[in-house]
Amino acid sequence: MSLPRYELGAKVATRLAFGQALAALGARGDVVALDGEVGNSTHAEEFLAKYPERYFEMFIAEQQMVAAAVGLQVRGYVPFAATFAAFLSRAYDFIRMSAISAANIRLSGSHAGVEIGADGPSQMALEDIAMMRAVHGSTVLYPSDATSAAYLVQEMAGRSGVVYIRTTRGAYPVLYPPDETFPVGGAKVVRSSPGDQVTLIGAGVTLHNCLAAADELAGDGISARVVDLYSLKPIDTKTLVEAASATGNRLVVAEDHYPQGGIGGAVLEALSESGHHVRLAHLAVQGLPGSGTPAELMEAAGISAGQIARAARDLLSG
Amino acid sequence: MAVQTLDDIHEMAQQLRVDSIRCSTAAGSGHPTSSMSAADVMAVLLTRHLRCDWQRPDDPANDHLIFSKGHASPLLYSMFKAVGVISDEELMTGYRQFGSRLEGHPTPVLPWVDVATGSLGQGLPDGVGVALAGRYLDELPYHVWVLCGDSEMAEGSMWEAFDKAAYYRLNNLTAIVDINRLGQRGPTELGWDLDTYAKRIEAFGCHAIPIDGHDLGEIDKALGHAAEADRPTVILARTRKGRGFDEVEDREGWHGRPLPADMAERAIIELGGQREITVIGLQPGPRAPGPTAR
Repeated sequence: MSLPRYELGAKVATRLAFGQALAALGARGDVVALDGEVGNSTHAEEFLAKYPERYFEMFIAEQQMVAAAVGLQVRGYVPFAATFAAFLSRAYDFIRMSAISAANIRLSGSHAGVEIGADGPSQMALEDIAMMRAVHGSTVLYPSDATSAAYLVQEMAGRSGVVYIRTTRGAYPVLYPPDETFPVGGAKVVRSSPGDQVTLIGAGVTLHNCLAAADELAGDGISARVVDLYSLKPIDTKTLVEAASATGNRLVVAEDHYPQGGIGGAVLEALSESGHHVRLAHLAVQGLPGSGTPAELMEAAGISAGQIARAARDLLSG
Repeated sequence: MAVQTLDDIHEMAQQLRVDSIRCSTAAGSGHPTSSMSAADVMAVLLTRHLRCDWQRPDDPANDHLIFSKGHASPLLYSMFKAVGVISDEELMTGYRQFGSRLEGHPTPVLPWVDVATGSLGQGLPDGVGVALAGRYLDELPYHVWVLCGDSEMAEGSMWEAFDKAAYYRLNNLTAIVDINRLGQRGPTELGWDLDTYAKRIEAFGCHAIPIDGHDLGEIDKALGHAAEADRPTVILARTRKGRGFDEVEDREGWHGRPLPADMAERAIIELGGQREITVIGLQPGPRAPGPTAR
C-alpha cells in the first residue's frame, strides 16, 4: 500500500486527500467504505472507483450509514463512513451508542466550518469537534494539508473506537513533504525560532490563517510560533506546554467551530491538566453565519489572518 | 431434557418467562412484561431456527441475534442460561448489579452480544450492517435475527433500516416485531393494527408475515419461511405484554416494573413453576442458497 504523494505548495483539499488515501488503503481487503450520497463531495467515491464491491451507498440516511458501519465491524471489517460533518450530528445517538458497543468505526466529516462559504449555515459543521470529542474513547483528527490528511487516514485504520477526521472543502497549499509522519496524539510546530513571543495554534483552514498571521507579524518585527494541532484527541500536551513556555505563555487559538468544546477547549483542558497557566486569546465562530465567500465568512467570524495577528499584538501589548 | 416437540418448546418459553421474572424481581428492576410477550417467539427461534455454536461465539458461521428492544434483557439473558453459557446463579445474582456483565441493557461485554442496544431504533439498523457483511463480504450463510419492539417502530431509523435492507435485498435478515401494543406510558401508535404495519413494511420492500405471536406452530412456520425468503422478512407477531400471568397480562402500568416478590411467586406458580431445561439448538451450517448477490 502506498499513500498518495503531494507536491509542496500545491493546492489540494484535505477532503480529496481523504478519498485518495482511502482508495489507497483499500489494498487492505478488510477496508470498506460507506457513503451518505455525497461521495463526490467527501471524495469517498475515489474508493468506489477501485473497490466497488466494498463500497456501500447508504443514500441520505446518516443514521443507517453509521449503524451499517457498526454492523460491518461486528464481522471484523474496517469501515470508513463519510458525509458532510454537519450531517453526522444527525447520527449522534448512533455514534454515542457505538462507543458503548466498543465498536471500531471511522467517520469522515467534510465541509467543516464557515469556510464552506456560499452554501450557508445549514451545511456548516460548527459543533462536530465538541460532539466527537465528548464520545468515550474517541479519536478526533483535523488535518490542515493533503499530506497529513493522507497519513492520518492510514492511522485511522489501526485505531480502535470512534475515530473521526474533519476535512475542509477548499484547496490549500500542501505544507509537508510526502514522507513526513503524523502520529495520532502529536502536533507539528510549523514555524519557530528562539525569539518567539507568541504561539498561534490552528488546525484545518485556520492553520493557514495562522501562517499568514505569522507573516504579517514578522513584518512588524514580532516573531510568532505556529502549531498545527492536527490531533485534537488525544492531544499533544507536551508540545503545547513547550510552546507556551517558550513564548511567555501567550497563546492564540483560532478555530472554524463554535467556541464551546472545540480546539480552544481542547487546548485549555490539556494545559489545565498539566497545571500550566497561560493567557489565551480564543478566536472562534461567535455569531450565526450566513452565506458569503470563505474569506468574508472567516472575517465575519473573527478567525481571519488579520484578526489572528491583531489578537497576538493585543496579547503582547496587554 | 430434549426440546423437540411444540409442547417441549412451550415448556422452554415458560422457563424463559419464569427466569425473566425471577431475575428482575431479584434485581428490583428490569422489564419482565416486555420479556414475557416475546418469550414464545424466542423459544421457537432458539430451539429450531437459530444456528449458533454458543461455546464458540466468534465462529464466523454463527447466526446473529440482536435485541433491538434491549430492555428485554431478562429474556435475552434467560436464553443465555437456557443454552448453558451463563449459570442460574449469575442470572439471579448478577442481573443489573454493579460490576456484573449482565447490564440493564445488553452490551458486547457479553461475547454473544454484537452491539449495545437500549437506545431504541438502533438494533435493526445495526443488524442491516451485519447482514451486509454476510451477504456481500463474508458470503457466509449465517442469518441475522433482530427482535424489535413495536414502540420503536415510531423511530425514523427503523424505516431507514427496512428501506436499505430491501434495497440490498438482505434475505439473510429477519426482523421480528413484538407487537404487544403497549409502550411505556400507554398504548402504542398503531396498537394491534397488524394490517397497517404490514402495508408499511411491504411498501418499503420487505416481506411482512403477520402472525399470532403466541401460536408456536405459526411462529415456527414464519421463522422457517423467513430463513428461505428472497428478501428481508419482517414477522409481525401479535403478542400480549406480560403474557402468562393474568394479573399483569395486557395491562397498562407494568412497563419496566419488576414484579414484587409476592406477585412473582404467584406468577411462577401460574407459569408452571421453575424449570431447568437446557437447549443445544442448531449448529451453524449451510442453508438453502438465496438468490445471488447484486
